[in-house]
Amino acid sequence: MDVVAENLRQVWPGRGGADIVALEQFSHRFASRRFSCLLGPSGCGKSTLLQIVGGLEKPTSGTIRIADPASPSLARPLGADSVMVWQNLNLFPWRTVLDNVAFGLEMRGVPKAERQRRSRALVGSVGLAGFEHFLPGQLSGGMRQRVALARALVLERPILLMDEPFAALDAQTKIIMQEELAYIVERTHKTVLFVTHAIEEAILLGDEVVVMSARPGRIKEVLPVDLPRPRSLEMVNTKAFGALFDHAFHLIREEVMASMKQQERALSGA
Amino acid sequence: MTAARTALEIGERALPALVVAAFFAAWEIFVRARGIPAIYLPPPSSIAVYLWRMIADGSLAINLGVTLLRIFGGFAIAGLAGVALGVLMGMSRLVARVADPWIAALYPLPKIALIPLLLIWLGTGEAYKIVISAVTAFFPIVISTYAGIREVDRGLMKAAEDLGASRRQVQLKVVIPAAIPSIFAGLHLGMGVTIILVIAAEMIGGSSTSGMGYLLMQAGQVMETEKVFADLVVLAVVGALVVKLQRWIDRKVAPWSH
Repeated sequence: MDVVAENLRQVWPGRGGADIVALEQFSHRFASRRFSCLLGPSGCGKSTLLQIVGGLEKPTSGTIRIADPASPSLARPLGADSVMVWQNLNLFPWRTVLDNVAFGLEMRGVPKAERQRRSRALVGSVGLAGFEHFLPGQLSGGMRQRVALARALVLERPILLMDEPFAALDAQTKIIMQEELAYIVERTHKTVLFVTHAIEEAILLGDEVVVMSARPGRIKEVLPVDLPRPRSLEMVNTKAFGALFDHAFHLIREEVMASMKQQERALSGA
Repeated sequence: MTAARTALEIGERALPALVVAAFFAAWEIFVRARGIPAIYLPPPSSIAVYLWRMIADGSLAINLGVTLLRIFGGFAIAGLAGVALGVLMGMSRLVARVADPWIAALYPLPKIALIPLLLIWLGTGEAYKIVISAVTAFFPIVISTYAGIREVDRGLMKAAEDLGASRRQVQLKVVIPAAIPSIFAGLHLGMGVTIILVIAAEMIGGSSTSGMGYLLMQAGQVMETEKVFADLVVLAVVGALVVKLQRWIDRKVAPWSH
């Protein structure tokens, strides 16, 4: 599925009448089956963009279109082809691992036996077999992350929207989760929009890195990442990786400085 | 080393019980040594004797049973009505708008002040005791339920929507389960005030011929101080048991909130 954003603009009503422009003139084609990383300073509207793509927020202006490259004229309803993995996971704390994963199927009216069978398979595939009847509160951060991933994957939607999913994990768990995600995405041919503010992560995972500017969020540059797959952390020391990293770092550096200035101004103005 | 540690642990476990025993022993000795009349302060030993007599002649079982029935009757009515209205208020802005001024106006009113009115309307029978306790317990329950529903994490609701839940499904499958800890907190408060109000209603002059409040009042009027103390002991123990039972139910129904 292609995700085509045209001239998106998102304005939030701010305190004291000063509106916040989260996104501005955002146009990009997220091509089918590609892993796109959105990289930018905090507050640049990356999460907003994901929610617009997922049909959970309406843009102030501009359009977002989901289209099957096989029949591009047929626009698909927003939200039907995508599923979100949230930064704070948003697992249902009263549901067991299995029931969390089965939630989407349950809402769709899939019979209990079938949704349990499918959810159990997914729970197993993310390495949580044996933990089906645990509550999220009983699991470690990495395990909860896997539940959130399984809950999204079980719906078999072609587009995966990921909002800094690994930000809260410790360094070792993060590396393992990144590798597993890359493997799953490759195997299931997902189109991925992955928000992060870690340059290394963006380059390691992405087919392209969309660098965004500080508020209002616009596209600053799109960097194609041609590193061979499967990728691993050892690539960080290669010349190609280093060149990409340096380039992205310089772009991001300016924006982070700009973002910090904005925050300082907002604080001193308040 | 380990033997010493075990001895220490046993000592630590036994300490609270030892303090209680020491307290009653001191009380007993103090009363006897000073020769204080039982009308003012009876020694624990004679309170125990009275308690045993009340158990033996069955008066405790009957009066405690009647009081507990009234408590659970009032609590059941308040719980059902309070949770129902709280959920409705949380789900419908219209219901919340209409109900809010009533709750805001009536909640701070001390419900005991309604006793004269209820006695006029309902007489001194069961209806009055159950209504006064239900009315009092209703407010904390409805307020806590409403707050719980309103404060459900938006993120969970959005996640459910993203996973394909309809508005109705979000309400039933996310909002209500997420509010259960708050609903239970309201029920705890409600149970507390129900106990207070039922006992108080039973104590009001001549309105009762049974119940723990009635026993207390009667014993007080004829200066049977031993019996007053025995009643208080029973009420304290029953109160503690009710709280324990509620906690146990909480853990069974909503283990994630602990």
